Amino acid sequence: MSLCQNRLQEERKQWRKDHPFGFYARPQKNAQGVLDLKVWECGIPGKEKTIWEGGLFKLIVTFPDGKFVPPLFHPNVYPSGTVCLSILNEEEAWKPAITIKQILLGVQDLLNDPNPESPAQAEAYNMFKKDRAQYERRIKQIVRENAAP
Amino acid sequence: MADGAMAQLPLPTSLAEVEALIRALYQPNPPETISKIQDVLHRLQRSPEGWQLAQSLIAHREDNIRFYAALTLIIKLNRDSAGLGEDDARGLLESIIGWTIQSLVDGAANFVTKKLCSALVTYFMHFSHLWPNCIRHFIYCLDLGRGAPVESLDDALQTDILVGKLDRRKLNVAIWFATTLVEEVGKTDMTAPKFIQVHGRLVKNASDAACLLARGFEPPADNPELKTQGEALSCFQAWILYAQRASPNPELVGQLRQLVSPAINCFADESLFQATAELFSDVLANYSAFFTDEHYNALASLFESPWAAEHYQRLLHGNHHEDGIAFGLLMLAYGDAKVQDLMHNTDRRSQQFLESLSGLLAADGYLVGEDTIFVPALEFWSTFIETMIDTTYSDEEAAQTWKPYAEQHLKAVVMNCWRKIQWPPAETFAEWDSTERVAFGDARKDVTDMLQSVFTLEGLSLVSFFVGLFLQALAAQSWPELEASAFCLGALSDCISDDAKYDHELSKVFASPFFDLLGQAHGPIPLRLRQTGLALIERYCEYFERNSQFLPNALNLLFAAVGDSVLGGPSARSISTLCSSCRSILTGEAAAFIRHYQSIRSSQVLDSLAEERIVLSIASIIQAIKDEDQRLGMFEELYNFLKNDFELAVQLKANPSLLNLQHPDFLRGLDPPNPQSVPPVEEIALQIALRSMRCLASMAKGMQDVKEHPIDLDSEPQSHHANSRLAGLQENIMRVLVEVQRVFNASGEAVEIICNIFRAGFSETEPGPFVFPPDVVTDYFVQQRFETPRIGTLLSTACSFVGSLYRGPKVYVPAQLARLLPWVISILQALPEPEADTEVSLNGISFVDKVMSKYPEAVFHPAHHSLVEFFFLFSLKVLDGKEPLPKGAAAEFWANFISLKPSSLSSPSENNIQQTLSAAMSHLGPLLARSLVSNISGHAARSELDKLSEPLKKLVTTQVEAQGWLQQALLDDSLFGAGAAERVGREEREMFLRRVVGLRGARATNQVVREFWMACRGSNFSYAS
Repeated sequence: MSLCQNRLQEERKQWRKDHPFGFYARPQKNAQGVLDLKVWECGIPGKEKTIWEGGLFKLIVTFPDGKFVPPLFHPNVYPSGTVCLSILNEEEAWKPAITIKQILLGVQDLLNDPNPESPAQAEAYNMFKKDRAQYERRIKQIVRENAAP
Repeated sequence: MADGAMAQLPLPTSLAEVEALIRALYQPNPPETISKIQDVLHRLQRSPEGWQLAQSLIAHREDNIRFYAALTLIIKLNRDSAGLGEDDARGLLESIIGWTIQSLVDGAANFVTKKLCSALVTYFMHFSHLWPNCIRHFIYCLDLGRGAPVESLDDALQTDILVGKLDRRKLNVAIWFATTLVEEVGKTDMTAPKFIQVHGRLVKNASDAACLLARGFEPPADNPELKTQGEALSCFQAWILYAQRASPNPELVGQLRQLVSPAINCFADESLFQATAELFSDVLANYSAFFTDEHYNALASLFESPWAAEHYQRLLHGNHHEDGIAFGLLMLAYGDAKVQDLMHNTDRRSQQFLESLSGLLAADGYLVGEDTIFVPALEFWSTFIETMIDTTYSDEEAAQTWKPYAEQHLKAVVMNCWRKIQWPPAETFAEWDSTERVAFGDARKDVTDMLQSVFTLEGLSLVSFFVGLFLQALAAQSWPELEASAFCLGALSDCISDDAKYDHELSKVFASPFFDLLGQAHGPIPLRLRQTGLALIERYCEYFERNSQFLPNALNLLFAAVGDSVLGGPSARSISTLCSSCRSILTGEAAAFIRHYQSIRSSQVLDSLAEERIVLSIASIIQAIKDEDQRLGMFEELYNFLKNDFELAVQLKANPSLLNLQHPDFLRGLDPPNPQSVPPVEEIALQIALRSMRCLASMAKGMQDVKEHPIDLDSEPQSHHANSRLAGLQENIMRVLVEVQRVFNASGEAVEIICNIFRAGFSETEPGPFVFPPDVVTDYFVQQRFETPRIGTLLSTACSFVGSLYRGPKVYVPAQLARLLPWVISILQALPEPEADTEVSLNGISFVDKVMSKYPEAVFHPAHHSLVEFFFLFSLKVLDGKEPLPKGAAAEFWANFISLKPSSLSSPSENNIQQTLSAAMSHLGPLLARSLVSNISGHAARSELDKLSEPLKKLVTTQVEAQGWLQQALLDDSLFGAGAAERVGREEREMFLRRVVGLRGARATNQVVREFWMACRGSNFSYAS
């Protein structure tokens, strides 16, 4: 088993031991049903007391990138659904030492606290800047469509 | 400074004043008073008199003052050690040891003595060369009862004898010191030159520490009140942690290992049990190699003892909140550390241990509020199962004699989990707080994961197992068991739903009377079970595709639940999943489903999202109807509901007195459904319209073809009006959309939904109600003004439209582009400045880029001359701007424009275009060069550099004059970012240009650009490299 796999195995263990409420994260299975530790299927709940509360958003993390499935309406998410995890920490970018828990908590923060310095899609970015009321209505709609079970 | 000084307290002039300040510091005082006192005391501590201050106060009868004196010593040691000569330092050590011993003699509080121990450790960090055998020397002094010179240690007795002479209180102090010592040194960097020797000397003390701890672990014969084992355990743990960091260090580990047996003995003492269990669990989990086989054997024997049996029983049947679960965690940590051995060994001891671990999944009480051991135990078993999978797949040839044994345990694990995840009675659940509820749901998810792993090993037999449980529970009408069985079967759906070989087993479930019971509105099935039952149908969508005889029944069940406030949402989702994937089987049901929809609509207001899903479902069935007339007939029937809504909305807007909130048609306009006060009529009208528009967009999505059809780009265009019924429908839809937008002209959402409806049609290749003729779409676009809400989204939709035109017959394209291009540029012209609306700028530029790349003649048509001229200057301004998205699009546009070649031009008027291009380039080239230089010389953000490098590369590879243009721009200091012109001289600029030109557009240009940018930005960078 390679070093990277070992690290991810440990990551999985840590996640099982201690993960924030409402989140899920599990490595995807390959065709034989064996886990592929490089690709994780994750769920990020909207933070309480924000317009995102009540939603659960699916993010496929392929280290070191994340992709919302389906693509998410958000200023920092590319039209393809990709979110650059480096914007969670511009200075240091992604380091192997960042845990999946930190990544997911970072993305959860980003949901309600977009980074206007790194726009990734014009639609959400423009609406966020120009028409906050409409933006919030739209987010509420998205939360309903992606309601946490 | 002057202001700060005004606020400061004056330095005290006597010891009594200092004491008063220290007392005041530890008394309740306002924060600003505390911080002023701290400030003056800090100044005093840092002053040269600090040493003396510490010394004067160290023997004080008040603990707080004594503590403060010890703290002062630490601060002085850390700040002023360099100023101490060796003799002074030696003297200081003797003094601190003396004071420490004195504090013990005086009966000072523990925190004073511990602080003095910390001061000794600080001394060691700075003067380890003067005090290499610190533990032995400290013990020696403790025995003497005073501080003694380090040299006198040569004549001292052996350490074990010295330790043996210490009374329990002194022993305790020695252990405190040894603990703090290893903790504090452990915090420093082992590889830093400053600390290498400190670590080296610490390790040499390990044998003395082991000696000390060996005695510390002995129960006191004289006074049971003075136990030292607790302190010894903490100290031992600190040393093991250090050994792990310092590994490999066999000598250190060897010395520490001798203490494992005495530490195990601590389990027997109830008051030490918790700490001992934590120590062993921690080391097993994080440093399992520390223990030898002998230790593992000792632990295994421990687990077989009557003592362990008692703990185990308490864990299964006791109260986890009162008793804790430390024993269970210890077992699990042992299991985790030995998982490979436990799995492979078929001996009685291993098997019994595994049995007790699976038993941990069957403790009394509900998850997770009462039973807190289940989740960690499940975690162990998940690891165990993954280990089994890894081993099974990695050595297929081996005999695998262990496997039947391991599988036996899995059975118990699965069975216990199945019991555990059963829902409590509703009234019990209602008493749980939200944390407990979420945790219960999470634990069920963990079980899902585990079951999927078990499936990898067990396959069909696992499915049969749950089918059996399902049928048994159904016969017994045991609803919680039935729910758990259905949940577990649902968990396996990801693994089996697309494989027909499990259908035989699943049919036993889906043909069972359960689904009849589920259909009874007031039947016996509780809500949770209904939810799980309906979810099961959704999860096995593919099964129903293969076994369509069960499908109508399943859908009827779901439709019946659509009106339910809890089940409605999930049921509607299930319906849309099933209808979409089984559409061709269901075409005969379209009429019945429309009736279902009608009857629900007339009796109640559905949740709007649920309604959208229902409409989508029915539309997707309609889409699969082969006969066109029948298809359009059904479509019209469904569409008419929505059309009536639109008409109602428009009428209501015009005539507010129509409002009748007793009628469901008007209630559809309340969002949220039960508002505190009735919103204005206009708002209700708008919501009625928007709701139905969203339904229409769902219809458009449902009508999308799921099959792929071949496309012939050179084919003759099909007549879009071949079917007059279809044409009529399209006209009607279009008219309604335009009308709604006109009436609700301030609504951005309306525009957005119209765009979604268009987009759904763009991806289609076969005719359909939403596949509008290109002229109709273009007509719609060109009527939109800059002031139209969401104009940026309209432009992005126009880009998609062009994409769809490119995928269709070529003959349509030029005429549409000729009308759309001026419209798009006119919108850009209406912008007050290029960055006023990023969405408009971005999509406008992308549009022109898209047109230019395939149909340059549409752009460079003489009729568009002035528009295009505007556009070029516009895109240069965007390139100079700060908005990343349009800027990126502008960079891409320029890269494409520069590399337009005659060969890529397909029009007969190629020559004219070529001339236009050349003329344009000679005018625009210098401007573009200026813009690029301005960006690269520091104005751009780092993340934009790659995109900006593209037009630069294209410029130097395709334009002969490029070098001249760039040189001109590089000589113009005014283009450079703040201070950049001074930082980067002429020579460096020329060097940059030479490198860029020399690279001829190669990838390495990006790096050169980045380096130049960094130099201009003034980072530490040498350009000469």
